[in-house]
Amino acid sequence: MGRQIIEGILRRTASVLLVLFVLSLMIFVLARVVPGDPARMALGPSATAEQVADLQAEMGLDQPIIVQYGRYMGNALRGDLGESLVTNRSVTADIADFLPATLELVLVTVFLVFLISVPLGVLTARYRDRWIDNAGRFFSLFGVTIPSFLFAVGLQLLAGSFFPDWPILGRVDYQLNAPDGPTGLLLVDSLVHGRFDVFVDALQHLAFPALALAMAGIGQITRITRSAMIENLRKDHVLTLRSFGVPERVVVFRYLLKLSSIAPLTIMGLEFASLIGNAFVVEMVFGWGGFASYGLTAILQKDLNALMAVVLISGLFFIFANLLVDLALSLIDPRLRLRGQSA
Amino acid sequence: MSHLDTTDDTQMTAAWMGWYRFSRNPAAIIGAAIVISVLVMAALAPWITPFPDHVGSVVDFRNRHAPPSAVNWMGTDKAGRDIFSRTVFGFRVSLLLVFGVLVISVPVGAVLGMCAGYFGGWAEKIITGLTNVMLAMPPLVMALAIGNVLEPTLINAMFAITLLWWTWHARLVYRVTVSVANEDFIEAARLAGAGPVHILFREILPNCIAVISVKTTLDAAFVILFGATLSFLGFGVKPPTPDLGSMVADGRQFLPEKWWEVLAPGFAIFYATLGFNLLGDGLRDMFDVEA
Repeated sequence: MGRQIIEGILRRTASVLLVLFVLSLMIFVLARVVPGDPARMALGPSATAEQVADLQAEMGLDQPIIVQYGRYMGNALRGDLGESLVTNRSVTADIADFLPATLELVLVTVFLVFLISVPLGVLTARYRDRWIDNAGRFFSLFGVTIPSFLFAVGLQLLAGSFFPDWPILGRVDYQLNAPDGPTGLLLVDSLVHGRFDVFVDALQHLAFPALALAMAGIGQITRITRSAMIENLRKDHVLTLRSFGVPERVVVFRYLLKLSSIAPLTIMGLEFASLIGNAFVVEMVFGWGGFASYGLTAILQKDLNALMAVVLISGLFFIFANLLVDLALSLIDPRLRLRGQSA
Repeated sequence: MSHLDTTDDTQMTAAWMGWYRFSRNPAAIIGAAIVISVLVMAALAPWITPFPDHVGSVVDFRNRHAPPSAVNWMGTDKAGRDIFSRTVFGFRVSLLLVFGVLVISVPVGAVLGMCAGYFGGWAEKIITGLTNVMLAMPPLVMALAIGNVLEPTLINAMFAITLLWWTWHARLVYRVTVSVANEDFIEAARLAGAGPVHILFREILPNCIAVISVKTTLDAAFVILFGATLSFLGFGVKPPTPDLGSMVADGRQFLPEKWWEVLAPGFAIFYATLGFNLLGDGLRDMFDVEA
């Protein structure tokens, strides 16, 4: 891998770490400045002033904000994110419980986005301005225009009316006694334990939430794949390949698609932030009980430690996704590697 | 790229060409028609809806959950209020949010973007740095977090969005500014003794208008979508004022039997965002810019 790519990755990581720092500081300060005492909220209205003061001291709330923040970040770097005021457990343990559900949903969603939008983008570019292109354009506009929560509600309504037996709430049927661990991803765990009934059931539960979450990405990636394909179709090397008599199938899938996957991959990385945001809505509608549901509860209940963790981890999610995108790009595009060597 | 050193004549032709391209684009015309219809419906809501008093605290329990009929075109909700009337009034909240967010973030973003591009130096560093920062956070998570730390209302959440949103405009305008900053007409203005204020607002700004108007139109769609999502999650306006997102959230409890309660507000959100998206795409083709 070229030096420039590594430098680029480091630079991006550094800048996002800076973001996380600024954001966490902002939320931390806001939460402390605004009325509404977390100690009072945790103890309820019947607690005495003395009890509140004790808890405040225990939580370090009597210290200056910057000291509190420093202590918080110091602990966070050691994996201690404090205690949730709602679940009364350590936030780290909560997140370890809830994160796999969201990870599973997001991974299946990303898979679904590429599975649908890349072939559709290729097809619409190949048959430009024919009926299939117009249908594809309409479909992507549909995906971009409709908010995820409407898709989620609409899919639930469809399922409820036409497939009454299809599960539309939760991750898995509890009567099945889904196996625990090792990853927390039901699709993986069920296969590890050889429980195909659980696998099928989990897949059924995943179908609608993942589709609802994927629609926005599908719309966007289809459009971008299409325009990248069309742009590259005009390039000289494609003309050369064609004039050499290379079969159309090979031209499209071996040369064009590879070249045209750069833009969609980059956009997918950037879209990841809104994907996570939409997961908050989709998880709520489908009773998914993942990290985003946890985050929503934390936010609505002013559970400060949980809220901070949710913001930080959402940011980390984004960094990680974009690192993967950068890696994939450097594998696909030799120019990125070469540029690094010559520099 | 259009520059100001053209004569009136060629400018006329350029504007006419743009309009020609716009008017030959059916999607753009449909978008413009939808946007105008939404604006008109919102403005005339009290006069065109059958039950304008149902936006207030009217309760009509004998009529609750009534399916669509000749009287209640889109049925009634759990308090017996006419859903069609409330949906039309719901556009008002959506458009108010659009106005509130964009009236601050667009000018602020444009001015800061121009300054960053024209002056360079630390202004450039800070503003490009901030815009990169904003990419990394899910805006929904930010709005929820900041909005809730203050108070879980739609206004606060949108205030949070405004705080973040100007960076997108700053980014766009910055790019345009950098691309024209070394053009001859800027140099000419400077030699003629123009100050930085004149150069920024009279020489550079006109070159950014196309990008800004495209982005602002697309933003309007996004703000409507975003506001609906937030109010769906419980960051609503004060009841009984109708807003589209919380109407969907209310109606969802009665699915699938009472499907009409989510249909009208859901379609209204789709209709409005579709209109602004089509119009924005049409403007983009017309001005031939990347935004």
